Amino acid sequence: MLATVLAATLRGLEGRPVRVEVDVAPGLPGFTIVGLADAALRESRERVRGALRNSGFVHPPRRITVNLAPADVPKAGSALDLGIAIAILVGSEQVRPNGRWAMLGELGLGGEVRPVPGLLPMIVALARRGAGRVIVPADALDEARLVPGIEALPAASLGEAVELVRGRRVRGRGPITRAELIPDEAVVRVSPAPADDGWPDLADVRGQAEARRALEIAVAGGHALLMIGAPGSGKTLLARTIRGLLPPLDPAEAQEATVIASVAGEGPVRGFVTRRPFRAPHHTASYAALVGGGPRMSPGEVTRAHHGVLFLDELPEFDRAAREALRQPLEEGRIAIARAGGAVEMPARFQLVAAMNPCPCGWAADPSGRCTCPLGLPDRYAARISGPFRDRLDLWVGMPRVAPEALLAREDGEASAPVAARVAAVWAHQVDTRGRIAGRLTGRALRAACRLDSGAERAAIRLADAAGLTARATERLLRVSRTIADLDGAERVAVRHLEEAARYRVPATAAAAERAG
Amino acid sequence: MLGVGHAGARGEWRAAAVEPVAGIASGRAPDTSPSPWPPPSAASRSRPATGTPTAGALSLDEVDAWAVLVAVDGIGPVTLAALLGALGSGRAVLSTAAGPAGPRRLAEAVAARGGRLDARLGRSIVDAAQQAPALVARVRALGIEVLTIESADYPGRLRLLDLPPPVLFVRGDIAAVNPARSVAVVGTRRATERGRRIAGAIGGALSTAGAVVVSGLAIGIDGAAHAAAVACGGRTVAVLGSGHQRLYPRAHAHLADQIVARGGAVVSEFAPDVGPVPGTFPRRNRVISGLADATVIVEARERSGALITASWTLEQGRECFVIPGPIDVEQSVGCNRLLRLYPGLARAVPGVAELLEDLGLVGTAAPAGADSRSLREGRAVGPDPEAILAGRGAAEAAVARVLLPRAATLDELVDATGFAPATILAVLTRLESDGLVVAALGRYGAGGALAATTPRRRPVRVARADVAAKSGE
Repeated sequence: MLATVLAATLRGLEGRPVRVEVDVAPGLPGFTIVGLADAALRESRERVRGALRNSGFVHPPRRITVNLAPADVPKAGSALDLGIAIAILVGSEQVRPNGRWAMLGELGLGGEVRPVPGLLPMIVALARRGAGRVIVPADALDEARLVPGIEALPAASLGEAVELVRGRRVRGRGPITRAELIPDEAVVRVSPAPADDGWPDLADVRGQAEARRALEIAVAGGHALLMIGAPGSGKTLLARTIRGLLPPLDPAEAQEATVIASVAGEGPVRGFVTRRPFRAPHHTASYAALVGGGPRMSPGEVTRAHHGVLFLDELPEFDRAAREALRQPLEEGRIAIARAGGAVEMPARFQLVAAMNPCPCGWAADPSGRCTCPLGLPDRYAARISGPFRDRLDLWVGMPRVAPEALLAREDGEASAPVAARVAAVWAHQVDTRGRIAGRLTGRALRAACRLDSGAERAAIRLADAAGLTARATERLLRVSRTIADLDGAERVAVRHLEEAARYRVPATAAAAERAG
Repeated sequence: MLGVGHAGARGEWRAAAVEPVAGIASGRAPDTSPSPWPPPSAASRSRPATGTPTAGALSLDEVDAWAVLVAVDGIGPVTLAALLGALGSGRAVLSTAAGPAGPRRLAEAVAARGGRLDARLGRSIVDAAQQAPALVARVRALGIEVLTIESADYPGRLRLLDLPPPVLFVRGDIAAVNPARSVAVVGTRRATERGRRIAGAIGGALSTAGAVVVSGLAIGIDGAAHAAAVACGGRTVAVLGSGHQRLYPRAHAHLADQIVARGGAVVSEFAPDVGPVPGTFPRRNRVISGLADATVIVEARERSGALITASWTLEQGRECFVIPGPIDVEQSVGCNRLLRLYPGLARAVPGVAELLEDLGLVGTAAPAGADSRSLREGRAVGPDPEAILAGRGAAEAAVARVLLPRAATLDELVDATGFAPATILAVLTRLESDGLVVAALGRYGAGGALAATTPRRRPVRVARADVAAKSGE
């Protein structure tokens, strides 16, 4: 007999409805899945078989054909397990369904229904398709209920799901499963993002006035920032304070961020994501890990950092191809991934914050002259960052090493809270007056925002000439000076703002000291 | 060809290595022998400045012929003297090479005088003879003046050396290589910030006192000394360890242009296309010390090339001054060791003012009213910082004054001046665009004319001083 259940699969950040059709026919016993299923999905046969047996049902010794429609859409992952199992039960007449059902969930061999990544966009897709109700893993109920217009019914086990399909409301948990003997993975990982404590506060940063100032400007205007300094100068510490400085997400951004968090699969989402993400991939991260991809077209770090900060420590050590791949998202706020299975586009509008040593040994430009790198190597090290990539870094700041005794003599720096308040005010002001933060102003909008008085105009030309700035670098100078003026509460960009902005321009590189003689 | 005939007649081109000063320059090229060159004669030739290149080796004048010959890989002073002795003139060498059976006839001529010409070198000379007009045209196009040891403008100080370089390629004013007073300032490329500051102060003080500063255009100490001289509007001579077309380090190409623009000169004993290879630098160092009355070593590590310059200085019988340093700083080890090895020869420099006194430069240009006490405090030598800062705003002057003795970070500038970070950053940009401040990775130091001033002596800063400074605000 033929049975049909509605489920969904994930492609990039989007869910796509999938009809699970199961035909249980007489013939040689067998179990075939057709319809562009990936490896995880083909293994679903074994999970479904085990779950059926251990939940008190019969895996029918007949010829079972599962068709996943539409046939030309690649399907990935284990979210279809529950649908396949229920469709087999209906098809083999072990269960008589009450109406049409949609369901999502991975099955354990004991019949547990487990959360799956990307539940949120898949339920959104089912809601758009017109499904009125959907059975979801009980552990992911909070996530499922974020979607309006569709009723989410929790099932902790296949047995509970069957009761729901039969039209009975379930109370309590289902049959005894392995989950009760060994803590279920999903249950253990319930706590969502790491707690806020443990992230450093700006008060922890002593000295480094210039880098602190650059950081505040960068966060206030969403400018890309590169910190160059010796090991131990506090680059990473400073970068990690950004999390406490970023304004909260607005509702539309929160929706996008929540979908990304759901798809990223770090446990079920408990509620809307409200904090801007801070992603810090290690420099050994692969191309696919940074930009996304893989068989399921899962989001990379650039997408996970959407509306937040992507921090690349040891920038020159990143794979060159991976680094260069960041140019598109830095420019367009999105990443297009083309693979054999088709192309996917994902949002990736992040603020880039990067850090690097001035040379491999880290001591170039130190006053002690203790750099042990071959002469000229620091220049080549900096040259690993390609010109086009440099052009996208708005602020460059050098971080000299602070002597330990000077560090001890210094008081704690200004705490994060007042800085965050200034940042939020500037951010709001920029969005109110210009529709976007200064870091995203380009071309005509930038020129309109940075209308200079004649004194400032002359100063800008003089500075650009003196530093031999390209058109793009001049644009960068204007963008940064706009944010500095906003921090200063000035409506117009003045000479002093331009002059400060000029401090954060490109070659604060290692060789500068040497060149200067 | 009076001079060359004379050299050939003396037959002294066969190298007899002179012992280097013990213990220091043991690894240098043994390309020294008693001078085969005659003193300059009234008949010295110099080429008309506006000469146009013409085709054919025979139409070259003698100066150009020498330039073509030294450009041949394998021809040094010794071989050149041998060739000139054998054939009478550079032009004769080239025309012989360009003629039938060139290599054989060259070899025969050299053999007739008891020498031996390598066959490969013979072929190289033939090639050079064929390409001579192109090379000469290029040298002129680059604005390079060729001085041979026979030219009247050839530096008199170099003539005094054993086996001076036969040809100098000079960009800039040739008068700069023959000044009344010239002092070399050299040191390590891996200089400390402090070392660069001292080199700048010495360069500035020498320049202000009217001496030409000679150095090697290297990064580190050399560059700081040149830059300070340029900033004071003084003349300075950079001696390259490579040809002009292969200027090294590239980062100092702009500095080289400035040196030329301010009436100084960039000098090389190598043809324009000779690349910077390790062997060329010790030879370059010999010319640096040879062009100067005295050499000042600012910072030298244990095996620094500056020590080779020091040993040449002593060997050439010139004065050698050494800036002593802390014994636990790598960049001072070589300097301190020089002082220990050559008591009485290498002289310690307790301060810039004392250096000028020892060089006999104080009287030359010291400002009126300078007494020995103010000299000792480092006030009356070099350019006056207050004059440089005159007319600048209070914030700019305050920031610049903090940077005079040593470079500082923004934190230190905020502590010292009390201005807000944003204000100081803007001020730094203004000072930097006027060349008075150099920035490197969050540290700001005196630049340009400010780096050429003599910093006053200050007590060593310790952590407690920081605390006191803070609590005193």
